Amino acid sequence: MMPRRENPDRPRAAGAAAAPVVEARAVHKTFGSQTALHAVDLEIARGEALGLLGPNGAGKTTMIRILSTLARPSSGSVRVLGLDPERDAARIRAKIGVVPQEIAIYDGLTARENLYFFGRMQSVAQSSLAARVQWALDVAGLVERADDRVGSFSGGMKRRLNIVASLLHEPELVFLDEPTVGIDPQSRNHVYEMVAGLHATGVTIVYTTHQLGEVERLCDRIVILDKGNEIARGTLLELQRKIPGSGRRGLRVMGDRVVEARAVLTEAGIASEIEEELPGLEQVFLALTGHALRDGRS
Amino acid sequence: MMSSALAVANKDLKLFLRDRTALLLTFALPIVLALIFGAAMGSMGGGQGMGRVPVLVEDLDESAASRALIEELGRSAGIELKPYSGSRARVARGKAVAALLIPSGYGSEIEAGRGPRLVLYRDAARAIEQQVITGSLTPVLMRLSGREIGRAMMKKSMAAFGLDESATAALEKTLADSLAGADSSDGALPAAMGLEIEDVTGTDDPAQKNAGKSHAVAGIAVMMLLFSLTAAGGTIIEEEQQGTLERLRLTPTASRAVLFGKALFIVSVGLLQLIVLFTFGALVFSLPIWDAPFALLCVSLALAAAATGFGLWLSVTCRTRKQLEGLSTLIILVMSALGGSWFPLMITPAWYQKLGHFTLNAWAMDGYHAILWYGKGVDGVLVEIGVLLGIASILTLLALRGWRKRFDITT
Repeated sequence: MMPRRENPDRPRAAGAAAAPVVEARAVHKTFGSQTALHAVDLEIARGEALGLLGPNGAGKTTMIRILSTLARPSSGSVRVLGLDPERDAARIRAKIGVVPQEIAIYDGLTARENLYFFGRMQSVAQSSLAARVQWALDVAGLVERADDRVGSFSGGMKRRLNIVASLLHEPELVFLDEPTVGIDPQSRNHVYEMVAGLHATGVTIVYTTHQLGEVERLCDRIVILDKGNEIARGTLLELQRKIPGSGRRGLRVMGDRVVEARAVLTEAGIASEIEEELPGLEQVFLALTGHALRDGRS
Repeated sequence: MMSSALAVANKDLKLFLRDRTALLLTFALPIVLALIFGAAMGSMGGGQGMGRVPVLVEDLDESAASRALIEELGRSAGIELKPYSGSRARVARGKAVAALLIPSGYGSEIEAGRGPRLVLYRDAARAIEQQVITGSLTPVLMRLSGREIGRAMMKKSMAAFGLDESATAALEKTLADSLAGADSSDGALPAAMGLEIEDVTGTDDPAQKNAGKSHAVAGIAVMMLLFSLTAAGGTIIEEEQQGTLERLRLTPTASRAVLFGKALFIVSVGLLQLIVLFTFGALVFSLPIWDAPFALLCVSLALAAAATGFGLWLSVTCRTRKQLEGLSTLIILVMSALGGSWFPLMITPAWYQKLGHFTLNAWAMDGYHAILWYGKGVDGVLVEIGVLLGIASILTLLALRGWRKRFDITT
């Protein structure tokens, strides 16, 4: 799997015109006197990667819980993969994968034992379970540690296992709730590759995170929630263009002639300021330390 | 340094006072246990101890002397006589503590100045009650038979030796004093009064003839089973907190299957624990576990099911592990004290025994006692098995209801 190139103008996923995978209309959810969602509409096309953003308490988790059959809306309608979550919860659960924010795997079991267990619970056919477990170990980069207890794993290894444990049954729709919290850049990069690989196979993805760079890198479209309201939706470029002063363009200067270029452009009244664009710290770190995983034996 | 120490102490005290579980365990539990022990030992409010011990009486003589004996015994503060025919078998089945048989010819023996014969059938497992019974019988027997016969014999002897009436009175007082001061519980004195004692329960193997050991092993087994199975049920709360339970809920597997799987695991652990404990009891205390292994297995299975229901119900009721530990400790200790896990219910007043049978401990203890002491088979413990399975069903249904309310129904 190769990482996707960052491209804010990335077109929407193929098949967007087909029936949406998720259709939520005027979804309202209250807990006592607290309103978690205010008449939110959400539509996700098949094969799309949607970034669901928002500060803490924005309603992201509530929305995911509703879409994944764990909660029912106070009002409004929801259909997931063409099914009603209230009536067809089991059928929906068989077709979706939910990667929880917390590492929800058993420390006392080995990676392989965890995967076999969750595979059985996800009704993966006995005949294909071994192959699916091997696939998951391979994708997570845990083949060499497959028979070690998870309690001895690093945070990054547990995160990767946490993700693949939700993919054993080949779900059509995957919810990832902050899947990269608390892990090193190598493991985070590996998670990006896993998600991008999944997306490349046509799986629909709903990705929530506070790391905006992850959304830039992985998602086709973004929805931003705040205090239970949808405040923005669109591609990254569409959202960027909504921000005042966002019309600034970059200029690539040949060689090391930045000072000279600044003088010429300023004198001609073309530019008021020239900034040097530098790679982010994460890119520097990865360039210096490499992309290989650091899991001891693997 | 002192001010820092005071600050730490102050902080911990505040935390402690805000922790309701800790407060309950520290103050309420000891008070509750003290009340239970006090009530069990019959000392509460200066009451009448363990109450009158029921004793069957079978009068085969039906003479004036035997009726006088029954009437005199009936006035005893320690025992309560109940006429019964075929009393030996009833004691042997563990249905009565003891029975007094007045053989035919009792009255004529007394009239003839000979020591009459009486038979006391005992359930030796109920040692404390036997002490009360012997202690109640001895003075009456002394009064009605021993004293009269002794006096007659003594007067004859005194006259034969040519002693006068005053010496006879002094000797009579000495005899009465020594009889009053003697220990009547060891059976020697009653035997001297013509009372034959026959233990009609338990096995003849002296190594096994110890109800205390069977009670201790069974009592500890029942109490520890409740603790360990509640802890096992606590894995539900652990899984909820670490997110694996929600992950399981997101699979197509029915959530009832998850609960059933938990129950299966907990019952297995419980059964294994009981097997280990009773095997230990057999090896170390010579408990007769192989006399009725199927009955023992059935009671153990029913007990494990009931304890599993209890553990599951508590686990779905409590929100945190800490809450579960506090509540389960409280309930299990109280149930163990009330239900006879710590001391035999047979030493407690009748009302206490009735109260105790609202706990699963008491039914399990009855079942084990019937098998290990009275040598009963499955047919002899069907009631106990039935009640335990009934408790298991009710608690499991409550657990299922709590589970559905908490985990099944989307909110």
